[in-house]
Amino acid sequence: MNTETTCCPPPASKSAAPSVGVTESLQKPRYDVVGSADAYEVRVEMPGVAKGDVKIDLDENILSIRGERHSKLPEDWKPLHRELSQVGYQLRLRLNTPVDRDKLTASLENGVLTLKLPVQETAKPRRIEVQ
Amino acid sequence: MKLTRHLPSFDLGRVADFDQWLRHPFAGFPAVGQLLGEFMPGVVNRLSADVFEDKDNYYARFELPGTKKEDVKVEIHDRLLTVSVARSEKTEADEESFTLARSISVPEGVRGDAIAAKLEDGILTVTLPKQEHRKPKLIEIT
Repeated sequence: MNTETTCCPPPASKSAAPSVGVTESLQKPRYDVVGSADAYEVRVEMPGVAKGDVKIDLDENILSIRGERHSKLPEDWKPLHRELSQVGYQLRLRLNTPVDRDKLTASLENGVLTLKLPVQETAKPRRIEVQ
Repeated sequence: MKLTRHLPSFDLGRVADFDQWLRHPFAGFPAVGQLLGEFMPGVVNRLSADVFEDKDNYYARFELPGTKKEDVKVEIHDRLLTVSVARSEKTEADEESFTLARSISVPEGVRGDAIAAKLEDGILTVTLPKQEHRKPKLIEIT
């Protein structure tokens, strides 16, 4: 079951004026979604992101997740070999099921963000008894 | 026409030690490894590493998202630093378990007994202290 699909980039007009010319490097994190009738659980891998540096927005049916990395590497560390990326994370998911936005919970543990999105009561499957 | 011997332009001095830090086939080409990871997520072993040094220590950093401290093993044996992760996840529906490992060869002059490791926000940092510089010794003639 795949309720969330990756979504388009945000509309340019919404953010700063395009003439400013500020580019930002962001990467799409690895994630997975587990769904049940009551709730969806989204797990996003964001190593290097501390608790205070995650921003989650639910706008209409677009869920945006952003994680900034505040690299705390001391300046006198001389890099000898680098593979780990230093850029932040951004993930935008389009939800096709109405979720209860007031009950949305998020927790970040060991570099993995876990989001719980309870499905709205009206969207849950119901059994209709035959009279 | 003149034939000239091709010499690699990069400095092999200290870096040569670190060629062996990486046992992964794509080690020398992090960009290729990353690219592959983008096209085939899950295929490429994600245990990527950074190496730094300052005047007292070497530092190796590994990305281990979602890993608990108990699931990580850091070993040093014969100048080979090995980080391995064994994890099993069990849910009602399914069960998955996997192990990941990465070995890095450590330059000479690291104090194996004083290596420390810390796991924070899914990033493991291993600190490898350098040995005190051996001082030149003056031999007196008797």
